[in-house]
Amino acid sequence: MSAPVVETHSLAKTYGLTPVLREVELRLMPGAGAFVIGGNGAGKSTLLRILAGLEAPSDGYALVFGQNTRKLAARYRRRIGVMAHQSFLYPNLTARENLEFYGELYSLADPRTSAEMWLERVGLADVADSRERTFSRGMEQRLSAARAMLSEPALLLLDEPFASLDHEGVEIIASLIRGAVEHGASVIATAHAILEIEGVDFAAYEISRGRLQPHLHKEEGRRGGRIRSLLGR
Amino acid sequence: MLRKDLRLELRSGESTLALLALSMLVLVVLVFALDAARVRSFDVAAGALWVAMVFSGMLGANRALLAERDNGAIRGLLLSPLDPGTLYAAKLAAALIFMVVAEVGAVILMVLFFNLEFDASIARLAPILALGAIGFSALATLLSAITGRTRGGDMLLPILAVPIFVPALIAGVKASAAALSGVPLDSMGQWLKIMVAFDVLFVTAGYLLFEHVVGED
Repeated sequence: MSAPVVETHSLAKTYGLTPVLREVELRLMPGAGAFVIGGNGAGKSTLLRILAGLEAPSDGYALVFGQNTRKLAARYRRRIGVMAHQSFLYPNLTARENLEFYGELYSLADPRTSAEMWLERVGLADVADSRERTFSRGMEQRLSAARAMLSEPALLLLDEPFASLDHEGVEIIASLIRGAVEHGASVIATAHAILEIEGVDFAAYEISRGRLQPHLHKEEGRRGGRIRSLLGR
Repeated sequence: MLRKDLRLELRSGESTLALLALSMLVLVVLVFALDAARVRSFDVAAGALWVAMVFSGMLGANRALLAERDNGAIRGLLLSPLDPGTLYAAKLAAALIFMVVAEVGAVILMVLFFNLEFDASIARLAPILALGAIGFSALATLLSAITGRTRGGDMLLPILAVPIFVPALIAGVKASAAALSGVPLDSMGQWLKIMVAFDVLFVTAGYLLFEHVVGED
């Protein structure tokens, strides 16, 4: 039996005296996906930052690929793609230059070809040579998705991937997530409300006041808290 | 990484122009304040040069890391397989290049404003200024990674950096004044040793500590 890609145990995070995450238990097997749903300030982004190794938990621990996220070696960081509220992109570089730069960081065989392929996939090939600072929020979000998926990571951590996107953008990102899952990637995506992507069957969790629990959708509750995806087509 | 930093700088030119303008401003103020053009003083010229260097060095180190704060790009770097020590080395190299450009400009202005000659004494300054630039860039890059995370960090950087740099600054001013007055380099061994020790200490400390200071918590 394969080991979980993500595993947390009694994970807690406190900022000052304010608890943001409490006793979070999460397990994600290879090729599986999970939606984490919650309101503003519920702790979704904090959870993803801890899983990515950007923040330390106050208590408990998180393992990704069996490694403690506090000490993730380069070979494990290489296998994680993160899409956050901030795009991690350079405003004064073009879309192509941004992706090429990240392609070089991840030692891709041909960063230029990879950049062009991903620009095509996210529908930004026409503006490949425009500086990122000229992009709308939605275009920036799509470029950020391309950056996160450029190295075809085994684990995708997506923080509100559909925020600020128009219908076309939602379709594109949904199709990228579907493609990643089909290639065996594990995905954790956060959102304010239930996300449903055609062809993707993710477990659903709700995070409220820092506590993570299985989300029971009205109609899907009978199926043990799993949701079937409807959005996309 | 360095190529990306230089490309960003060439595209905006903000740092280089600001560094040159700041160096010029400092030298002009000191020339008039000390009436140095009339009284030919190697000590004053060396002091003015190093004041200009320290100010431009702080600006250069701040700028080198500022680009990484836009859109949270620093997080993208920390998430990548890139070794934090390598990230420090790239940022140090970028800060050093900006500082060397500013130094070249400052030396030319110093010679002009302080009524000096472009002769062998200026060439003797090169290794001294190089040692100073390495040490200050190493220190300022490390400290700007800390201060950049705090509100008003730009103000905090000189408060932290200048006192720590004082030993190397004194050694640099003394060695530069000696070089300008025609003293050969081997007679300033004690000052150069202090600068080399400072450089080794802060380049090593920066390389080892950068991952702990640049992170998110």
